[in-house]
Amino acid sequence: MIQLFNVTKSYGGDSAAVKDLSLQIPKGDFIYVTGASGAGKTTFLRMLYAAEKPTRGQILINGQNITRFRSHQIPHLRRKIGVVFQDFKLLQSRTVYENVAFALEAQGKKRYEVSKKVYQALKEVGLEHRLQRKPLELSGGEQQRIAIARALVVDPLILLADEPSGNLDQDVTHEIMELFKNANARGTTVLLATHDHSLHQRFPRRVITLDKGKLVSDQQAHLS
Amino acid sequence: MLENIRYFILRAVRNMRQWPLLCTAAILTMAVALATVATFFLIVVNIEQLAQSWTKEIQVIAYLDKAVPPREISKTIEKLKKIPEVATVAYVSPEAALQRFRRRLGNDSSLLQGISRNLLPASFELGLHPDFRHQQGVEKVVRQLENSIDIEDLRYGQGWLERFNAFVDMLRFVGMILGGFLLFAALFIVSNTIKLTLYARRDELEIMALVGATMRFIKVPFLLEGALQGVLGGLLSLVFLAVVFKFILEQSIQSFWLTPADFQLLFLTLNQQITLVVGGMALGLLGSLASLRKFVRI
Repeated sequence: MIQLFNVTKSYGGDSAAVKDLSLQIPKGDFIYVTGASGAGKTTFLRMLYAAEKPTRGQILINGQNITRFRSHQIPHLRRKIGVVFQDFKLLQSRTVYENVAFALEAQGKKRYEVSKKVYQALKEVGLEHRLQRKPLELSGGEQQRIAIARALVVDPLILLADEPSGNLDQDVTHEIMELFKNANARGTTVLLATHDHSLHQRFPRRVITLDKGKLVSDQQAHLS
Repeated sequence: MLENIRYFILRAVRNMRQWPLLCTAAILTMAVALATVATFFLIVVNIEQLAQSWTKEIQVIAYLDKAVPPREISKTIEKLKKIPEVATVAYVSPEAALQRFRRRLGNDSSLLQGISRNLLPASFELGLHPDFRHQQGVEKVVRQLENSIDIEDLRYGQGWLERFNAFVDMLRFVGMILGGFLLFAALFIVSNTIKLTLYARRDELEIMALVGATMRFIKVPFLLEGALQGVLGGLLSLVFLAVVFKFILEQSIQSFWLTPADFQLLFLTLNQQITLVVGGMALGLLGSLASLRKFVRI
């Protein structure tokens, strides 16, 4: 369960990136966060994985107030959250295996456990045959699937995706949405920020819309 | 715990292999910085050694009122040898002094014909132990000499000694100022190089923090990497110094006009060599620590 109470984030100046946002996201939900560029989608997601601290308001994840977290508590929060970016954020100097394994190594998992889980995660995204390649040797779609494998390999409670299909064509976007849906079906709460309306038309789910940092609509999906 | 240590070491080594150019740049910068400081240290140590070798010439000559009767010479020599600072004592009779003078005049020695054999005074020449070949040492000997025998005059190169002391003091002062400046410049250059190498890898640091790595987990491999690069830089600077020392300095020093014939150039002692490598490690470690503080944000 994610709860936001009157959350505001401002970087100084007159306008705030997020204004007075209150929201409840039940466990296992799938939510689209939409809005034009600069609406505050990225800031909203960044506050959820504690990369930004709200200027005002409280954020609770599973009952824990993460706005009061000290810096040594933040890594433990992030181990429960998988994050996927538009620009993939893969380590170009490392192999596909090392990129995915890194998320588990950072949690101090044993070697045999790491190799088993990495293989499973890569198999799930269909890239188990690319283990020893470097990210730059792969296509954009494949790189994004590796980033998703890295996010999912830790069995996260929450998956945050910031414009994950921004650089990808329709077919690849479809494949990636299937991966998110599968993760959601296993109980992971998914928040997907996008300005692509066609996504929630093709895969209808709850949609929250931000405009200039304010929540302007919160629509439940009409599953047909 | 062991699994963690193994992981950190492996990670540090792999990082260096994955970033060969950055790693080489950091090692070379540290090697050049350390070699510069060590070369300067060697220069100062050797100039000081050279200066010390000049002090072999320091001696105190006590000219006597009248020649010592032959049977008392050895007694007086024994007495003078009891002065702790004195290493050698030689008696020069008026005849011996005149002979020496004649030899020095060479072709002009005929000028001395018909001159009394007792023209020059008898003297004792006192050589000093190496530890006392300085102004204070000489002054101590002079004080004790004045109390023990009848002396007409004393010669110990007062002016030269004062100039020599001023030179050694200045050498140490300039050495400390320049050495301090060099060390500061080396620290500055090394820490900036490490900062640049970390800047090139800031994505890596960001992603580490993103997947829930703790501060320790992010920093330790980078610190180990810095320390390892420092050790390699230290070893490389040592090899460079040894090559320059063996093939350039040792060959050219003999042609330097101020070098005494038996002068041996000093290289770093084993302890100093170890200090250089450990210093390299500390340099890499501290440089990484300072830069990481700037780049790692959770």
